[in-house]
Amino acid sequence: MALFLIRRLLLLIPVFLAVSLVIFMIIRFVPGDPIDNLLQIGSTEEQKTAMIAAYGLDRALPVQYAIWLGKMLQGDLGEAIILRQPVSTLIAQNLPHSLILGSLALAFSTLVGIATGALAASFKDGWLDRLVMTLILLGSTLPSFWLGLLMILLFAVQLGWFPVSGARSWSALVLPVLTIGIGGVALVARVTRAAMIEIARKDFVTMLHAKGVPPLQIQLGHVLRHALLPVVTILSLRIGWVLGGAVTIEYVFARPGLGSLLITSLNQRDYPVVQGCLLMLAIAVILGTLIGDIVQAAMDPRLRETLR
Amino acid sequence: MKTILKAALFGASLCTLMGSSALAQNATFVLGSREVGAPSYNPIKATRLNAANTFIYDRMVIQDADQSFHGQLATSWEAAADGMSWTFKLRPNVKFHDGEPFNAQTIVWWVPKFKGTENAFMTDAIDKVEVVDDLTVRFVMKTPDPNMLFNMASTFMGVPSPKAFDALGDRYGVAGAVGTGPFKLESFTVGQQTVLVRNDAYNSASALSANKGPAKIARLTIREIAEDSTAFLELRTGGVDMLMSVPTDFLPRLSAERGTKVMTLPGTEVYYMPMNTAVEPFTDIKVREAVAFAVNQKEILDSLFGGVGAVANTFLISGLAESKVDPKLMISYDPSRSRKALDEAGWVAGPDGIRAKGGVKLQVKLWTQNGTEFKRVTEVIQAQLKAVGIGADITIFDAATITAQYRRRTEHQLAVRVYSWANADILDWFHSGKRLGHPNHAMWNDPKSEELNEKAMKGSRTWDERVTNFRAYHEHLLSQFVFAPIYQPVQNFAFSEARLSMPAVIRGTRLQGQTVVDIEVKR
Repeated sequence: MALFLIRRLLLLIPVFLAVSLVIFMIIRFVPGDPIDNLLQIGSTEEQKTAMIAAYGLDRALPVQYAIWLGKMLQGDLGEAIILRQPVSTLIAQNLPHSLILGSLALAFSTLVGIATGALAASFKDGWLDRLVMTLILLGSTLPSFWLGLLMILLFAVQLGWFPVSGARSWSALVLPVLTIGIGGVALVARVTRAAMIEIARKDFVTMLHAKGVPPLQIQLGHVLRHALLPVVTILSLRIGWVLGGAVTIEYVFARPGLGSLLITSLNQRDYPVVQGCLLMLAIAVILGTLIGDIVQAAMDPRLRETLR
Repeated sequence: MKTILKAALFGASLCTLMGSSALAQNATFVLGSREVGAPSYNPIKATRLNAANTFIYDRMVIQDADQSFHGQLATSWEAAADGMSWTFKLRPNVKFHDGEPFNAQTIVWWVPKFKGTENAFMTDAIDKVEVVDDLTVRFVMKTPDPNMLFNMASTFMGVPSPKAFDALGDRYGVAGAVGTGPFKLESFTVGQQTVLVRNDAYNSASALSANKGPAKIARLTIREIAEDSTAFLELRTGGVDMLMSVPTDFLPRLSAERGTKVMTLPGTEVYYMPMNTAVEPFTDIKVREAVAFAVNQKEILDSLFGGVGAVANTFLISGLAESKVDPKLMISYDPSRSRKALDEAGWVAGPDGIRAKGGVKLQVKLWTQNGTEFKRVTEVIQAQLKAVGIGADITIFDAATITAQYRRRTEHQLAVRVYSWANADILDWFHSGKRLGHPNHAMWNDPKSEELNEKAMKGSRTWDERVTNFRAYHEHLLSQFVFAPIYQPVQNFAFSEARLSMPAVIRGTRLQGQTVVDIEVKR
């Protein structure tokens, strides 16, 4: 297991370098630049040239990349051009909000998704299965932007249970967590159900039934356990998504977060912030995949063998 | 036991009472969605400031809706006849929130601070500041600047406390902001909220405020909500007390809400459509004339904006004196003139209604940037152009990409745009030959225009002279049809009538500090 871990960690270095290069280039290939957002009506062409030089945007791209990478390796993500703050400060302000929202939503979709998926699989083709799958289909097709507004209308405007927007209290987290979580529930439940149905057809399950093991014990102790492997893969891939994918929800509920920071900076072409945010998201995806691999390896000895 | 119970009950009721009275003086406002994410309260170095800056800082002068100027930190001013010096008398007994005095030395420190910043152009014409006495300063000018008062009234001209500014360095505006305004900054989270508390020593209100003393609201929370629907629902559920800017398409719904009142102020925006004069077919003035007169401003105002706002017939907002041009030069819908111009230019109607000349169809590119209002206006314009025989293909870009496309100079033909500015120098910004591509999207570079522009920008010594010169420049641009004016929005804001009482007349160019000192929270 230790060898597996070391190999897996070493693999991260080239991945990280490649990702940083892609992130750096991608934002520069998009038309537009941050200076346009800084120019005031009335300023001159000379002031513009001075500004471009001040932010080092007149240097060759490889030089800019080397400077950024060098500083980044020392933990310095640079200074935001438009937002006028260190990028690390901006990320530190926004990341906790994304982490709380994301992890609660992930926890919600994991628990509810696995439970409903297992329930649907256990009553396969019964009315409960159909009902759950219909609701799930609905949940996965509703646009989160619209669902968020509907949630606000029902729970905040009509019933008055939760605040409409903001991040000023714990109660303000409920509606965004539910809105993001419902999409995740649908995905997790479908994967759980499909995997459980597939596992239930295996020979060892038939044998367990033949041995007279109670059906509930077979379903939960054996079938579900095996079925969790693909679920873990899906969940680990969602870690990165959870950090950056909540943009529309952050927007609707007027919440701070990495996603909204990224979108705002992208619109203004604030290069250092976009790079910093994308890097955080990439790291989250890389770490999520890593965690997924480790958990899978811990759960399934066959995987450890193949990677040895 | 009974005594304890009584004491507890008394304590609880006292707390409730205190809580409710404290609550009664609190208010929560929501900034307009376009102002969301302004990164700092540093007026000297920031390039974007939100409306709450005027709650923290006072300016030397402020501007009223009729474009007149009124003293705030300055009580009176005088310009030398040759425009080479300006003398300002300062308001006595004014103190910053940190207790530091405001006087002539503050101004001597303040003006040079703009050097090297993006806002430097506003003080560029000032050579140096001289102290006449403790409450009088003289600006010695490099060149005459008839636009001095307009610049001094800009939000970027809020005067910060020198001590706090120097002490906080680069963190000024984020970690703290100290002015002489009616509210002190308590906390600020970028993109989220700003908490302000009343400055009980406030004594520098201008003539635009009825209340000359401290503000009536004790604690003011300014929230930033990017999604307009969310902000609307917050107002509806009582989560907030005022939306400082409301899109026009929300007006019918807001007006239908009981307990919500909508008020409007004259706008500072103009929707318009520049024509790229450097590419075919817009090199031909007749085609430009045809496009300009094909736009039905009244139809757009009525059908898209419910009649709220005004049609635009020139490049400038109607409040500016420079917009009062010769009526013959105003551009307003005239389809027969449009068709006649196309006929004269040799464009003949084809079987599909689109005109053609020498086998080439009159089919043009019509660009805009994303946003519901832009899309709607552009679609209507497309239909209006079709009606006179001009085909237009719409492309929608995001704001940064469209700017990069304009810079390529020959890619664009027509574009639906909006600007927000309350000064005639916007004519120079969008039409000077020095800024071809962007922001001179019309690619307009004509010797007579350049001459008139130069005269207006640099050759005016007094305000009146400047108005005359800019009007001449404006009239020339109108006669050349380099753009089609479309629409002038108004500024709308909405508040809860149960919670707030507003002054009967809102003065100033925007909803700013001068009005907020007059707003009262109803108990």
